[in-house]
Amino acid sequence: MNAINRNGHDHARDDTAQLPVRARARNLYAYASPNPGNGPAQTPPILPVLARSPRERALRRCLRRLLWAVPVTAGLWLVLTGGGPDSLAFGIPAIALAGALAFATTPATRWRIAPVAAFRFAGWFALQSVLGATDVARRAFRLHLALAPGFCRFPTRLPQGAPRIFFANAISLLPGTLSAEIEGASVIVHSLDLRRNTHAELAALEWRVAALFALAPGTQDSVSHTGGAP
Amino acid sequence: MIIFELVAALAIMAGAGFFIAGTVGLVRFPDTFCRLHALTKADGLGLALICLGAALLAGSAGEIARLVLIWLLVALSAATCAHLVARHARADGQAHREDTSQRETRR
Repeated sequence: MNAINRNGHDHARDDTAQLPVRARARNLYAYASPNPGNGPAQTPPILPVLARSPRERALRRCLRRLLWAVPVTAGLWLVLTGGGPDSLAFGIPAIALAGALAFATTPATRWRIAPVAAFRFAGWFALQSVLGATDVARRAFRLHLALAPGFCRFPTRLPQGAPRIFFANAISLLPGTLSAEIEGASVIVHSLDLRRNTHAELAALEWRVAALFALAPGTQDSVSHTGGAP
Repeated sequence: MIIFELVAALAIMAGAGFFIAGTVGLVRFPDTFCRLHALTKADGLGLALICLGAALLAGSAGEIARLVLIWLLVALSAATCAHLVARHARADGQAHREDTSQRETRR
């Protein structure tokens, strides 16, 4: 399954490489602009008559963030305390404070997650992190350390913000790679074994992260919306 | 019930094994960056297995939810911490070549 996806990825890359640069940019980054062109991320306004000002859009974004933050923090509090009535004396102010914080800090860019791709990613990622851990454990117990460590630079096409940070964090749990720095649009990756084909593995991960955030051109999941969770 | 306990014991023992592997890596690997590999990956899986074993033995849904929460928060922070330590080590100019050469002279 892995090999098929990797091939599919390569194929998709070749396709986009033949497009003119502008078309390629629109394909990948249509969701990122505040007014997407023909991208799949565009949602038709409910009331087309009332055009939203940027200020109103920002306010709506804050409200959406608030609607997401309060149930999550309330859920966390209930899990941690067991939901006793006396714990709510501290819990309700704490939840209100968390909501206010979420209201005060607006995300730099909106992003969303494709649910089907998220499940696919979670399964693949769980397997990869087990492989990563067994790989490093085996190396630690080897009599002679079979290491060829070093750094390599991976230029990513993922946009700034959540997708790129998620990508950098996921790198650290894959077998043999660790993200050491994000420099502009490239991630500096430390590899335990430079003899491996690190670049191809990172490209496969990049493609999966793009699908997870509904960025890859032509993925079926990009149709479904989760309403821009922050 | 006895099967649950058996699986839980196996998971916890495997988790402890991964923690030991992570520590062995921490001691044996030549430089900061390689050591971070051992810590983030092996210890991460070790904690996941121990949480799984403990969840199998847990008495209530609340306990399981807390274990899942612990695992989730540690897993989230581990990769970020490793990234920050690696970035700092790089900014410090801690070249891995120096460390490996030191290790080889020591042997």
